[in-house]
Amino acid sequence: MPTTHDFASVLPWQAEWVGDGAAQQKVAPLLLLKNLDKRFGATHALKSVTLDFTQGETHAIVGENGAGKSTLIKLLTGVFPRSSGEIFWQGKPVSLDSPQAAFDLGINAVHQEVVLCGHLSVAANLFLGDENTKFGLLQKRAMTKAAQKVLDDIGFSLPASAVLSDLTIGQQQLVATARAANRGTKFLIFDEPTAYLTRQETKQFFSLIRRLRAAGITIVYISHRLEEVFELADRVSILRDGNLISTDKISETNETKLIKGMINRTIEQLYYKEQIPAKDEILRAENLSGQGFNNVSLSVREGEVVGLYGLIGAGRSEFVQSLFGRFPRTDGQIYWNGKPVNIRREKDAINLGIALVPESRRDQGLCLNLSVGTNINLPIYERLSKSVFISPKLEHNAADVQISDMQIKTASRNALASSLSGGNQQKIVVGKWLNHGAKLFIFDEPTVGVDVGTKVEIYKLFANLLREGAGIILISSYLPEVYDLSDALHVFRAGKLVASHIGAKPPYETILSEAIGV
Amino acid sequence: MSNQTPKTAQILAKSSSRVGILLSLTLLGLLLMMWIALSFSTTTFMTANNMTNLARQGAMTAIIAIGETFVIITAGIDLSIGAVVGFTSVIIAWLLTHDFSIASSVFLTLMVGVTIGMFHGFGIVKLRLPPFIMTLATMTALRGLGLLMTNGATISITNDTFTNVSRANFLGIPMLFWAVILVAVPSYIFLAHTRWGRYLFALGSNREAARLSGVNIDRMIYVAYTLSAVLSSFVGILLAMRIGIGNATQGQSWELDAIASSVIGGTSLFGAVGSIQGPLLGSFLLTTIKNGANLLNVNPFWQLIITGVLIIVIVYFDGLRRKRS
Repeated sequence: MPTTHDFASVLPWQAEWVGDGAAQQKVAPLLLLKNLDKRFGATHALKSVTLDFTQGETHAIVGENGAGKSTLIKLLTGVFPRSSGEIFWQGKPVSLDSPQAAFDLGINAVHQEVVLCGHLSVAANLFLGDENTKFGLLQKRAMTKAAQKVLDDIGFSLPASAVLSDLTIGQQQLVATARAANRGTKFLIFDEPTAYLTRQETKQFFSLIRRLRAAGITIVYISHRLEEVFELADRVSILRDGNLISTDKISETNETKLIKGMINRTIEQLYYKEQIPAKDEILRAENLSGQGFNNVSLSVREGEVVGLYGLIGAGRSEFVQSLFGRFPRTDGQIYWNGKPVNIRREKDAINLGIALVPESRRDQGLCLNLSVGTNINLPIYERLSKSVFISPKLEHNAADVQISDMQIKTASRNALASSLSGGNQQKIVVGKWLNHGAKLFIFDEPTVGVDVGTKVEIYKLFANLLREGAGIILISSYLPEVYDLSDALHVFRAGKLVASHIGAKPPYETILSEAIGV
Repeated sequence: MSNQTPKTAQILAKSSSRVGILLSLTLLGLLLMMWIALSFSTTTFMTANNMTNLARQGAMTAIIAIGETFVIITAGIDLSIGAVVGFTSVIIAWLLTHDFSIASSVFLTLMVGVTIGMFHGFGIVKLRLPPFIMTLATMTALRGLGLLMTNGATISITNDTFTNVSRANFLGIPMLFWAVILVAVPSYIFLAHTRWGRYLFALGSNREAARLSGVNIDRMIYVAYTLSAVLSSFVGILLAMRIGIGNATQGQSWELDAIASSVIGGTSLFGAVGSIQGPLLGSFLLTTIKNGANLLNVNPFWQLIITGVLIIVIVYFDGLRRKRS
């Protein structure tokens, strides 16, 4: 073990103060919150929360969207000041009134989305704000060397000089974590870090977290994926409507208890699914090839969920983009209601009745600074117009129908889309296709970063669509979801359809190994 | 009661979207205040002569500001406006001195505007150049082309029927101001009541969401830049009419006046927020400052400083108001 303060000693387990933190139990908790309270005007976001974090533990925090998790993180990282209550760091009261104050104590956070400079190298990112300089000049070679040591240690087979944006999102998340753990960090908060990671990347990421924990860093882990909580955490706290509901040792709780605590109602089935008989075929792809995928054949029938599983880059997204006309096919044939069709652009797909609900509703799904009504009507303005003029009456009616049918909670159709909650925004993204009369819905990662309650609403929406005779193609990187919801499950690997399970499905492990290729 | 609440919410929501009625009223109030102040502090402001002058001066800025607004709503920018004005003043002057009729000269000049706009669309859509770069390039190239065509000289227009229009009045209102109405009314209908208008906003708000909703965004880019260039060439015609010459160096930095008027009128440079009344009010506000400063014998260099300060103040307060709502 290195014992110098060499610049290369950037990760805690390489530094001399490494101790077996997990085994240590100090008298005073590392961080203690006493009656912590936060109000935003009339909103009471956090209600007198008392919570302790011991040195070296991994403490999971779960709760629905709006339960107060983000507020708690922002108080701990000094982004917002608290309204009342006390915070103790190693037994001493602290103010935590600025991000710098939190940082100086050793509190750091890794967010769901990577906040790094994509154009710079991995090494430059690792040392951003803390560059090694001599006479004001960057010591690039020393930094690259030190960064390489970190990468090797994590188990990355990548040069530290690689440009960050060339890495996968999972690799970037590892870099972000290494960076956050970099300088004397004692308390590290993870906010939904695996939301965009594949199974394999998650595995690599978990082993990094375990090493940080073993190095004595206290970890706060926030995730909607409960099995991750059980895999990683020592203790778990539940937040609901700003209240702390409970804190338990992980061995003394289970998934049902956690869900019950989070939503105060039991969901009998996590993946809500109704038995709906499949009817006529809507779409069939025969030997379809295009950019990023090769020779794919599958079909979707009315009332059926067709799941596409695979690692990121396996060709699933490219395949559906091709069905939607973004990248035209190079070979093969698409049949719609049994007739061969030629989909060359998005408009062709939309006219047939194909709707794509994209992965990121903020980046791809919604015009946030336009009204709810405009967003709902965007695909059907041609139908709402007499020659080129929009009929206000038709426009208003079409919007109101979807707002009431989809139960979109909004002040009115004129409210801006940005003023709605995430779940209601998702309803707009789906609702705009219902007036249009879409027959085939492609959902790309519909539940990423969505809480348990909203997830169930989305699954119920699936059932509604299926009952009305629509078909669904579901893309998900989250195996339990796509496994339980699909009537037919297709596995992609390296641009090829490697397995199709229609009806009975083999166990998880089989599907996983098909996707990974072992 | 239950009827009232959603209605209030509706009105509130409406005013917070696009360009607030509040901002328009504030600008109108500011404009009237300036007029009242100037009519008390000078003897020359509130004269028929000066008011028609003001209407004529403001008219050209107003029309290019409307054109620029179409582009800015798509989250783009058109830097070529001043150059197009200068270039098309040369075109119309050349046509008129080569015995083309007024009607065919006007038509051909507007077609030159269409061509320039389509070329901008081509560069942005097909060559994938950023709008800033594409229109920066034509800004310099068109000046050069105009100077090359005229050898750097000025073409004098001898057709009096043509030039007299700029001095004529109709119903007591200068023809140049009627030109603003001729542009503003259809522009308002286009932007607020047609689906293409709606698509411009959607494109500016979220290009990807618009594309996934089946909006032909390439076509909308062509539409926005063509509108801007056609309105600029229309102003090129009006300018040639007013000063009786065609000169490629005319309209220097007018694109900045157009952008300033649009932004003062509440158009967001990030796209998806804008109106027609906004740039109209903005342009007459700017023109009044210039006109008033002249009458008050303020050093013309101060006009530039005042305009700069005004842009910062208005846009800052509008941003504050938006954040609060």
